[in-house]
Amino acid sequence: MAIVEQDRPAGPLALPAGDGEHREREPLGVFSRPVHARGWRSWLFTVDHKRIGIMYGAAALFFLILGGVPALLIRAQLAGPNGTVLTADQYNQVMTMHGTVMIFLVVMPIGACFINYLVPLQIGARDVAFPRLNALSFWTFLFGGLFLNLSWILGGAPDGGWFSYAPNTGVVFSPTHGMDFWALTIIITGIASSVGAVNLIVTMLNMRAPGMSLMRMPIFTWMALVTQFLLLFAIPVLTVAAFLLFFDRRFGANFFDVSQGADPLLWQHLFWIFGHPEVYLMILPAFGIVSEVLPVFARKPLFGYPFVVFSGVAIAFMGFGVWAHHMFASGLGPVSVAAFALATMFIAVPTGVKIINWVATMWGGRLKFDPAMLFAIALVLQFTLGGLSGVTHAIAPADTQQTDTYYIVAHFHYVLFGGALFGFVAGWYFWWPKVFGYKLNRTLGLVHFWWMVIGFNLTFGFMHILGLQGMPRRIYTYADGMGWNLWNMVSTAGAFILATSFIVFFVNIFVSRKHKTHEVDPWDARSIEWMTSSPPPAHNFDEIPVVHHLDEFWYRKYAEDDDGQLVQIATGDEVYRKELAQAEQDHAAEHMHMPSVSYWPIVFSAGLPLVGLGMIFNLGLAVLGGLVSLVALFGWVLEPSVAPEDSHGPAPASEEEAVSVG
Amino acid sequence: MSRRRDARRWLLAVGVGLVLVLTACAEDAPQDTLQPKGPEAQTIHNLIVPIFVVAGVVGLLVFAAVAFVMVKYRAGKFHATDVPEQVHGNPKLEIGWTILPAIIMAAIAVPTVSVIFDLASKPTDAMEINVVGQQWWWEFDYPGTNVVTANEIVIPAGEPVVVNITSRDVIHSFWVPGLNGKKDAVPGRTSSITIQADEPGRYMGACTEYCGLSHANMRIVAVALTPDDFDEWLANQETAAAAPTGADARAGLEVFNGRGCGACHMIDGAGVTQQPQVVPLVSGVAPNLTHLMSRDVFAGAMFPLKNPDGTLNRPLLEAWLRNSPAMKPMYPQGGRGMPAQGLTEQQIDDLVAYLSTLK
Repeated sequence: MAIVEQDRPAGPLALPAGDGEHREREPLGVFSRPVHARGWRSWLFTVDHKRIGIMYGAAALFFLILGGVPALLIRAQLAGPNGTVLTADQYNQVMTMHGTVMIFLVVMPIGACFINYLVPLQIGARDVAFPRLNALSFWTFLFGGLFLNLSWILGGAPDGGWFSYAPNTGVVFSPTHGMDFWALTIIITGIASSVGAVNLIVTMLNMRAPGMSLMRMPIFTWMALVTQFLLLFAIPVLTVAAFLLFFDRRFGANFFDVSQGADPLLWQHLFWIFGHPEVYLMILPAFGIVSEVLPVFARKPLFGYPFVVFSGVAIAFMGFGVWAHHMFASGLGPVSVAAFALATMFIAVPTGVKIINWVATMWGGRLKFDPAMLFAIALVLQFTLGGLSGVTHAIAPADTQQTDTYYIVAHFHYVLFGGALFGFVAGWYFWWPKVFGYKLNRTLGLVHFWWMVIGFNLTFGFMHILGLQGMPRRIYTYADGMGWNLWNMVSTAGAFILATSFIVFFVNIFVSRKHKTHEVDPWDARSIEWMTSSPPPAHNFDEIPVVHHLDEFWYRKYAEDDDGQLVQIATGDEVYRKELAQAEQDHAAEHMHMPSVSYWPIVFSAGLPLVGLGMIFNLGLAVLGGLVSLVALFGWVLEPSVAPEDSHGPAPASEEEAVSVG
Repeated sequence: MSRRRDARRWLLAVGVGLVLVLTACAEDAPQDTLQPKGPEAQTIHNLIVPIFVVAGVVGLLVFAAVAFVMVKYRAGKFHATDVPEQVHGNPKLEIGWTILPAIIMAAIAVPTVSVIFDLASKPTDAMEINVVGQQWWWEFDYPGTNVVTANEIVIPAGEPVVVNITSRDVIHSFWVPGLNGKKDAVPGRTSSITIQADEPGRYMGACTEYCGLSHANMRIVAVALTPDDFDEWLANQETAAAAPTGADARAGLEVFNGRGCGACHMIDGAGVTQQPQVVPLVSGVAPNLTHLMSRDVFAGAMFPLKNPDGTLNRPLLEAWLRNSPAMKPMYPQGGRGMPAQGLTEQQIDDLVAYLSTLK
């Protein structure tokens, strides 16, 4: 291959640049760029969107354990009446941490994992617009998550619920430092989300391959774009709310102090103006994944692509106008309740459109039931159930019976677990061979699938009944004789089945990784991220594809013959080799300039939890943390955009070698 | 073919069995939301049941469609090189299935909005009860009388009762599912709902807004009495507690006063005249004990005060007086909940003797 891959940056867009066009001054000591192309330091300082995506996924799986163990403790405590596994105080901490960790440190980061990895590949870009900011997002999220979990050993985890309703989260009612950790974590991870949103929006709007109009953008990227706009507008509201809460707690502000005339509903409005778009920004990436997986395994294009795109956009818009349906019991008055009930009902319309379009995508196809496809179909069905129970909440009078019962717990687990997480697992099975060069074992995948479907539905399905039988949420115990014993026991059994299904998944990863095939196109896929090697090189594509169709890759493999019949004209591998030959011919003399790795994103992020700890325990420490981040910002600005040419070791022979260290 | 018929029979059997199991289990659920006991709850029930049916039908259609597609279009039925027609969409169809759910939603919206306003309208000249939530029990006071009680909300059967709900500390939610939906108790605000029980009886409820440590132990019992029984109950509640006569009960009153129990608990007419000490935003107030023995439950309706035969559940009450924080998670050092009193067994016996005179 004639393209020399070197870690020499040439501006943020990393476009190929001619050699020797600019002479750089020798950079000063600490402000030189790191040059590690492999080894653990290459991961710490990386700015490669693919490595950052992988790290997002790995970190999210780690937090999945930290959020899953509390879930199992909850189910163990509630297995029977008058449980004694946890005390009330422990239960409240465990419940709060389960919700907070799963939402902010598992589901959102898994979304970020897919979006970071796939978006530049799907739009034919070499990286995101601001690679160092991308690294900053990841490390800030990771350190924020670790900071939150420090609370377990520093005086107690937060105990106010993931929703943190004032005034129960005030310092009077929650005197440990748990809620301080919670509020600061929200602020820190909020930085990660907001920075990431700006970065990815710029990337998607500006860096698409030639010919890729917005309506030729792969559906996953579309949903990612919508998600990032949701983040951009929703996260700041939560950040403000967390600041208000923290100022109340730490500095005696009176934002939520009723005796000073505050209205505690202020918190609920702020929280849910964030909280409802949050629901959609967690589910939309999974919708995008399913909309990619179903067409590939049905060998048909996504049915009604424009409808699916616009229904996603409509969901996002309407998602900002339905927040008060979380507050139907809080005494808003009938006019507000009626308005929000109507808005909520009509959000069912675009959601319903998506579901019917997915079914129509499969209709008339040639369905292959690989694990990715099965997880995607499970999402369609389970999300349908979650969506239908969601419609019943929109019936505000009925919601006053259902809200804050296990019916709601069932509903949002069907949406977030049966929906989002099943979609993510589908995505893992689907893109795994592209990312790591090997397929996950099909048999183990099927075991994983059935075990997870059974476990999931046992755990959460019967919670509908528990809720309708009047079992309130967030209770650490319940009395005998309420009629709740049987289904709680079933649910607990299901939870442990569900937990073991993830062990099957981890075993599958471990077993399958020996069988690398580096197949370019194992599923006969449709979009251009499959038109590069598996795993892709650091620069993603040797030749940036020129896009003529929505399903560009498919139409390079299939064309109509003289009778109008669709026939295969090339295999995916042949298409890839053709591109490779083209690149050889066009760019043989050029160097590929990719952004250099950088010390500063991780240093900046490392300062933030110090600021957090300092705000809680010792303001001196906060100053120190602030200085660390400040120095990082100066380093960031002052580091050269180009590392000296002679400081490079030999480029890795293949990306696989670089990736395999992780 | 026969295999498929077998499968169908199986499905039917499983379905019928499931329905039987589900309905059988609902019968002994005293907090069931699907067994309305009064007109407000019935209104909600009448609204939601048809919507459950519609949702069920839609769900079944989606499941059936997916099952059909999965059987009919599985790749194994076709030749491996066979490429299906690349259908990109059908705008007419899609507009159709955009409008269809919109129509269903519009049809659901009309009765929903009308019920929202129905339930929000207050009946004229109905009896009112003020409900105050606090960590972790409920106080009920009857405006126009001096009656203040706890944990059990006593109402006349067959009549609408307006409850005005607020809180002294954090947000709670008042919910007796047999009588109406829930309404949050928000400090600084008062929200009203109407409840009515058609028949005399005891209806279970609970706090349903997470309110801290003992949220699970903040339960409610709505006691509906016939109008005559209710008048009798109210008349009794309005009388002050009689001075104790027995020696041990008198000793118990002395313990009560000597230990400063009256700082939080009020007992009318027993020489205990301190008003409850209202600590803003921290529950410093404890249940009014003037007619403690007229109630069947105590400590946030967590424990039965009476045995099934109506006699005092002495061991539980004694255990409570011995060490209340061990029985119910509370936060007495923060002024919320009853602290352990360090009473001697003699003092506990005396106190119980006194308390059992508070009929």
